[in-house]
Parts: sequence; C-alpha cells; structure tokens
Amino acid sequence: MHTTYNVVITGKLAAGADKTAAINAFGALFKLSPEKSQSVFNKAPVAVKSNTDKTTAEKFYRAISKTGLECRVVDATAGDTPAVSQGQKDTPASSPAAPAATTDNDTPVTFKGFSYKIEGRPDYSFLTVEIPANETLKVEASAMATMDTHLVMKTKLKGGFGRFLTGESLFLNEFSAANGAAEIGIAPGTPGDLVHQHLDGQTLFLQNSAFVAATMDVNLDTKWQGMLKGFFSGESFFLIRASGKGDLWFNSYGAIIEIDVEDDYVVDTSNIVAFTEGLEYEITKVGGYKSLFLSGEGFVCRFKGKGKVWIQTRNAQAFTSWAHFFRPVKSKK
Amino acid sequence: MKIELVNRPGNTAAKVTLAAGETCTAEAGAMIAMSGHMNITTTTHKKGAGGIFKAAKRMLSGESFFLNHFDPKDKEGELWLGSSLAGDMLALTLDNENLIVQSGSFLASEESVDMDMGWQGFKSLLSGESMFWLNLKGRGQVVLSSFGAIYPIEVDGDYIVDTGHIVAFNETLDFTITKAGSSWLQSFLGGEGLVCKFSGKGTVWCQSHNANSFGHALTPKLRKA
Repeated sequence: MHTTYNVVITGKLAAGADKTAAINAFGALFKLSPEKSQSVFNKAPVAVKSNTDKTTAEKFYRAISKTGLECRVVDATAGDTPAVSQGQKDTPASSPAAPAATTDNDTPVTFKGFSYKIEGRPDYSFLTVEIPANETLKVEASAMATMDTHLVMKTKLKGGFGRFLTGESLFLNEFSAANGAAEIGIAPGTPGDLVHQHLDGQTLFLQNSAFVAATMDVNLDTKWQGMLKGFFSGESFFLIRASGKGDLWFNSYGAIIEIDVEDDYVVDTSNIVAFTEGLEYEITKVGGYKSLFLSGEGFVCRFKGKGKVWIQTRNAQAFTSWAHFFRPVKSKK
Repeated sequence: MKIELVNRPGNTAAKVTLAAGETCTAEAGAMIAMSGHMNITTTTHKKGAGGIFKAAKRMLSGESFFLNHFDPKDKEGELWLGSSLAGDMLALTLDNENLIVQSGSFLASEESVDMDMGWQGFKSLLSGESMFWLNLKGRGQVVLSSFGAIYPIEVDGDYIVDTGHIVAFNETLDFTITKAGSSWLQSFLGGEGLVCKFSGKGTVWCQSHNANSFGHALTPKLRKA
C-alpha cells in the first residue's frame, strides 16, 4: 500500500524561536496575512499538508522548521492517533485530519517551486532559497550574501547587450546545486521589501533594479519603453520582462504596496516596482503645466486596464536629492 | 477624509481616502500613487487663497514653495503619500487648536486646516535647525512625517528636547532655546549644542533620529559638489 504523510504544526515553537517572528515567517512561507497565520497557529495541532508523498512532506517539514514553528511529519495512513501526543493533554483530543480539512478550505496552501523564506520584512528583507539537487537559480550579480560551499557559481551574460543598457548589471550569477541540495542567502542592494511570485505563463514587468532572483525556466529580457516614455520618466529606458514558468523574487526600496488596478491609476515613475502584463501604461504629466514644473511630482505613469501594480513607499531619487545638500564643498585651491 | 498609515514604523506610507468633494493638501513631491481620476492643482498656498507672500515665507521655512491639492472630483478616490526619509508618520486631528510643526515634518492636511509660518523670533535662528516652524490651526486631520520612530512626551512642567528631534508640539507650550550642559563650552563639546526647553502643559512629539546628524555622517562619503 502506498503510504501517505501529513505535515502537522504542533503549536509549539522550536527552541529559542520568537513566537511572533515564527508566525510571520510561517505566514510569509505560505503567503498568508499575519492574522491568518496566527489563526492557523492557534488551531494547532493542525495539518498544513495532508496525504502527500514522503519527499514533499520532508520538503514542507524542512521549510516550516526553518520558520521557528515546531512541526512533524505524521503517517497519514496510521489511523487517527496523531503523533502530536506529547504535551497535548490539555487540548481536547483532536485529530489533525479534521482541522486539516478546514485549513485547506480557508487557506489554500499554494506551495510550489523552491522552498524559501524571507526574513526581516518589510524593512530589511533577506531571502534564503533552498536549491534542490541539480537545480539552478539565477541571482542578480553581487546580491549573494551567504551560501553553502558546494554551490557552484557561474557568471552568465544574460539578455545580451540590452541588459547593459538598462543599468542592470550585465551579468547574472547562476548558482547550481550540482552536488546536492544547498542553501543560498540573498541580500538585495536597497533596504526594503521582497515579493515572491510564482509565474505560470504570466508575464511581469519589473523596474530595472527590482530583479533579485528567478528559477531557470523564468525568461528575463528587456523591453524598450520607447524613446519618449523612457526619456521623460527620468528612469531607465527599459523594463525587465519576466515570463515563463517558475519562481521570481523582486525587491523594493521601502515597503511594497500592492494595488489592484480596476480602471486607471497614477503612480509616480520612481515608485513603480513591477506590474502585470496587459496593463496599458503611459507617461504623462499630472495636472496642468503649472503642476508639471511646480508640483514636485514631475512625470507620472498612468496605468489603464485591469491588473496589478506593486509600488514602493520610498523613492531613491528623493533620498539622493535630500543627501545632495550634505555633499562636501570642493575646496578652492 | 480617511487616513490609514501602512508599513509602520520603518517604511510608512499614508493612504488617504477622499470622498467626492473633499480636498487634501500635501507637500510637493509627496504623492506616490493615486486613483486615475484624481485631480491635482498646484498652488502657492491654501486653495483659492493664493498669496505669494505666504508661499515665500513657507519656502524660507524649509518647506517646499508649492503645495498640491488633490480632489477626486465626483467619485471617491485614493491617494498614497510617502516621505523621502525612512520613518514613521503621525495622524492627528485638530479641534480648533494650534499645532506647531517643525518645517519639513509636514506631509498633508485636510482643506479646513489653515497653515501659516510661525516666526519664533531670533531664538530659533540660534538653534541651528530650521529657522521657522509651521503653524497649523483650525479643525481637521493632519499627517506629519518623521525620520525614525515618533514618540509623544506629555510635558507638565519643564522638559528638554534636542532641537533636531522635535516633530511638533502643542502651542500651549512655551519654549526657549538653551544649552544642554551647565556651561556653553561643555554643551558644544558634548555635541548636544542647543536644546529646546519646553515649559507648560502639552504634548511634544519627538523623532528618534536626527536628519541633520545623519546627513553629516554621509558627508565624507559623498562626492564633492
């Protein structure tokens, strides 16, 4: 008989783990809001994945253990005696299988692709990705902070000359786990948030410095914005177009706000992080000509249609012009 | 006007929801994103009451010369505002009271709030910080931004705050610029320089970091102008 397994959160914390941090990390892993992950945690012991094969169960186990929540893999076919017996005398005897049904309904666990975690959100996000054996991850040049010694790094010229012009590094580093699964820690250049998207045929446009990492089946190329758009936006001439299938991570300067565009929406050009394909966009001025020069907003991007736009709360340009005031004065000879 | 602060305290942004007919006044350059139908007008002062003199005064106070007024025309709209430095924001509701705001900390206000530059006399000139303060009065909501976290201090009696750490304070408080230590020499060597001594009863909102100190820490790393 084929044995299946349940992955169960025991409702306890791993040694030394902080409860809030662990719950948040758990939420980030399953893309749940803090409230939602808190409620899942409160329902513990609860199965977050049921009737799965051993490999998947172990993958879940490793990923969840990293968040700081204690979890265990239970033989699902072993009947309804949960293996979470120790220290559970005060809890009414609840089989993890029963709450599992509700969890699956409330919180669709969409666990696809590589397992990863994001720590320090939203101010100082840091990404750790588990690369399975014989898989490869594309990472923005110089973003690697820590990694297992057996990862093999190869620097690739990706996207051709176009990427050179975007101001994005010409090189992408490819990390291959040729000698078994390995872990890599990735620190983006700007302090801010990180977003994970699992692409399944969709296409996303990223602002030129937002790319962090992607799996091999995600295609990255650059999109010429047109002379006018690029020139007036004060930003780069290009956007990065990410398409295909797989995991994609991108980052921001400041926190990220997700906006569902229904009709039309205006975003300051320097606050755009990413947007979905299908949205029409044009660079325009806000208000009249007086506003153009005096409002401090300059040009904005007007999105039309239906889709999603990710914006960042901080603006690197605004920060540098603030810092400009503090530049040392050149001494006269 | 509904104000919601998100991603506090490190990377705060303010989401302002405006009903039809409402107007929100914001510091120039603060808009991050907004509904497509939002109307924007740029003036030198309060909408409809433009005065170049008042604008000039505001420019002197370290605030931008211009203000943007956002109105969603005939249907509800939303507006996102951010600041250039990382930090928290504070939403306050004024009820016919006066609030004195450190220039540069002002982010947005409801149309019903009147704004004027407060001249605090030569004592502010000595403080080494901005010379001017903004005087907000009237009734309505106000959003302030800070560099770092914001913490309120209820003053009843005397209290001393470093001039670079003040975000805003109630006008009921009186303040004098003074030295931190017992002697002028000590105060300057101690790096504290001038401080603000508040007296009376009221609230002072302080920011955890001093933008000027941060800027000066960057100076050696920046290219020469």
